[in-house]
Amino acid sequence: MNVWAALAGGFVGTVLLTTAMRMANELKLTRTDLPFLLGTIFTDDRSLAKAIGYLIHFVNGLVFALLYVAVFAAIGYASWWLGALFGLLHGLFAATAIVTVLLPLVHPRMGTPYTSAPKAAQLETPGFLMLNYGLSTPVVMLIAHVAYGAIIGAFVQLAA
Amino acid sequence: MAADSGRIDGYAALRDYAVVGDGRTAALIAPDGAVDWLSWPDLDSPSVFGAILDAERGGSFQLRPETSFSVGRNYRPGTNVLETTFTTESGTVVVTDALTLQDDHPLGPARELVRQITCVAGTVPIEWTVEPRFSYASAAPRVHARANALIASHHGQALAVSAWGAGTPRHTDGTIHGRADLTPGPGAMIALSYADLEPLVLPTRGECEDRLVRTEQVWREWAGQRPYDGPWRDAVLRSALALKLLVFAPSAAVAAAATCSLPELIGGERNWDYRFSWIRDSVFTLNAFLQLDCPDEAIAYFWWLMHASQLTHPRLRVLYRLDGGPHAGERTLPLSGYRRSRPVRVGNAAAGQLQLDTYGELLQTARRYATRIGRLDADIGRRLAQIADLVCQVWRQPDAGIWEVRSAPQHFTQSKMMCWVALDAAVELALAGLIPNRRLEKWLAERAAVAQFIDSECFDTRRGSYVRSAGSADLDAGVLLGLLNGFRPAEPSRLAGTVHAVQRELRHGPYVYRYLSEDGVRGGEGAFLACSFWLAEALARFGRPDEAVPLMDELVGLANDVGLYSEEIDPGTGAFLGNLPQGLSHLALISAAGAIADAMHGDAG
Repeated sequence: MNVWAALAGGFVGTVLLTTAMRMANELKLTRTDLPFLLGTIFTDDRSLAKAIGYLIHFVNGLVFALLYVAVFAAIGYASWWLGALFGLLHGLFAATAIVTVLLPLVHPRMGTPYTSAPKAAQLETPGFLMLNYGLSTPVVMLIAHVAYGAIIGAFVQLAA
Repeated sequence: MAADSGRIDGYAALRDYAVVGDGRTAALIAPDGAVDWLSWPDLDSPSVFGAILDAERGGSFQLRPETSFSVGRNYRPGTNVLETTFTTESGTVVVTDALTLQDDHPLGPARELVRQITCVAGTVPIEWTVEPRFSYASAAPRVHARANALIASHHGQALAVSAWGAGTPRHTDGTIHGRADLTPGPGAMIALSYADLEPLVLPTRGECEDRLVRTEQVWREWAGQRPYDGPWRDAVLRSALALKLLVFAPSAAVAAAATCSLPELIGGERNWDYRFSWIRDSVFTLNAFLQLDCPDEAIAYFWWLMHASQLTHPRLRVLYRLDGGPHAGERTLPLSGYRRSRPVRVGNAAAGQLQLDTYGELLQTARRYATRIGRLDADIGRRLAQIADLVCQVWRQPDAGIWEVRSAPQHFTQSKMMCWVALDAAVELALAGLIPNRRLEKWLAERAAVAQFIDSECFDTRRGSYVRSAGSADLDAGVLLGLLNGFRPAEPSRLAGTVHAVQRELRHGPYVYRYLSEDGVRGGEGAFLACSFWLAEALARFGRPDEAVPLMDELVGLANDVGLYSEEIDPGTGAFLGNLPQGLSHLALISAAGAIADAMHGDAG
């Protein structure tokens, strides 16, 4: 399996995923802003947070592409539809475990179900499937991740 | 001030509104503690609270004593932080309102309205109700409790209501409410934090209190840097603060007013959206910034002006959106309107009209800018020269005029005067080497032709005055603007005759009507406040400061209890009419005060 193809797919896929999420924002389907959520882990400066968040987001996109290619290599098969399936699982995992549970635990500016009498500003928690940011949020998240996975699968398939 | 029963059919008088803002949007607050207008996230966004346009459905944030009360109001000195004192039989509370200024450290809400309630004597039961109605009341929000706040959301927007010491917030049918008995002590606070297309930031009470203090401090510092020390100082400084509220900080555009569709006649249809930036106001705006020693705002505004007009260069739109866009599509909303004044319009179809005076305004603004700053960017210079070339081509056309009539285009005198001013400014800038001078001869020839047209076609010899348009028998106070901007008749007596005619035929006490003839829209209107200030300025600058001073005294007395002006006033009742706070009224006040001060010191120009 071609690691460079996976990285290229990861990059293109992240661009697409980010653009899709931003479009969903503009279409008022969701209030999710992944770079903002990630960046505010490190800073309370809104602009800097978004810049850092985009960087982390793209690094994440490449790291997950490497995980995808590792699984493709393990099973000896890669295709766009398998990538799309991975994307679906990835999206579900992100929307349920990573963002819903892990992010509030590590995020210094986000409330958790255990937070009380907060001492600092609190970012609104995403909630299960990120539904706090709008009812369409999980649908948008899943579609974007499916597209991301399909692109990585296609890149690896074409390079094989 | 009037107690709690001052509303008619649920509407407070327009004169009774105070405004708070944060440089991006503004809220209107009535003396009974109701926030009846707030568009979020920006000044030109759809409203979240729009009760001023529909008392039943528009949405508002009410906060007041449960028992009968009387009210006193003021801004904290040198700030745009409003203080409302409610006095009841059992005690007194002070409500301090501000849209807080954010400096991003630490992380704060994207937009925030803070209402601090302090009981200063006795015990006062208070009640409050937040009825957010997003998108011009097109939908009631979903409300749920989350992280110590109640959150109302609608599509991509969300608003969190956090209350401390103000009773436990509860919600029913998209409305959040609470009550508390307040006694002297730490008091209560209610904060609305808002997010558009991003997660909400839910603040703590301490952060809200800090931001309120910081907001007051920032305003006070800004006001303290305004050096004006002439007559009517308080009115000028309040006007400066009101004007600063209309500067849309993200782009430096200046909105004409903070509201839309407030009527020029109660029950009438002259209801326009003024949340755009008019080229018409640019000279006054730049002058005010320079007069008040606001070079940063002046430079930013001029660059915004040139940036926005680049989209349509060399032609100009009458107005531009605050983000610099040229389109402002007009539509009507299914709201009942302020005291049944319909239609309720958002957007402004005047954007697409031909208004020739805009070229004069832009070039005059550039002349003032270049005179003060001492230079013009070469590319800007080229563009200004191209605009002057266009004026040579188009000045013979009829237009909608400065008042944007919706009747057939005419050869409006003020438009022609401003075309003359445009070419005069171009000639001066070219002679100073600030813009290309290849077409100088053409500009000189056309400037003379415009003057000849004005003096022969737009002057009524019987009256001794310039009239509204070529061949017209009507007067137009807007002509004063052409004279104030430098159009000088061949015979000086014509200038004095015009000022005298406006005094005689359009002035009633301190009030001056724009004109008395038809304009394509049904119904009448009030007296136009800016015209009154223009008359005062004209009297001062054209040799009659002794008449200008008492007029100015009267005009300053027409402001509401917190020093604000709307667009128009009903001379019969003193009621405010039109959108508010109106930038042009405040700009004209600043300009007139400066001109009268100069005249009193013998500097009349």
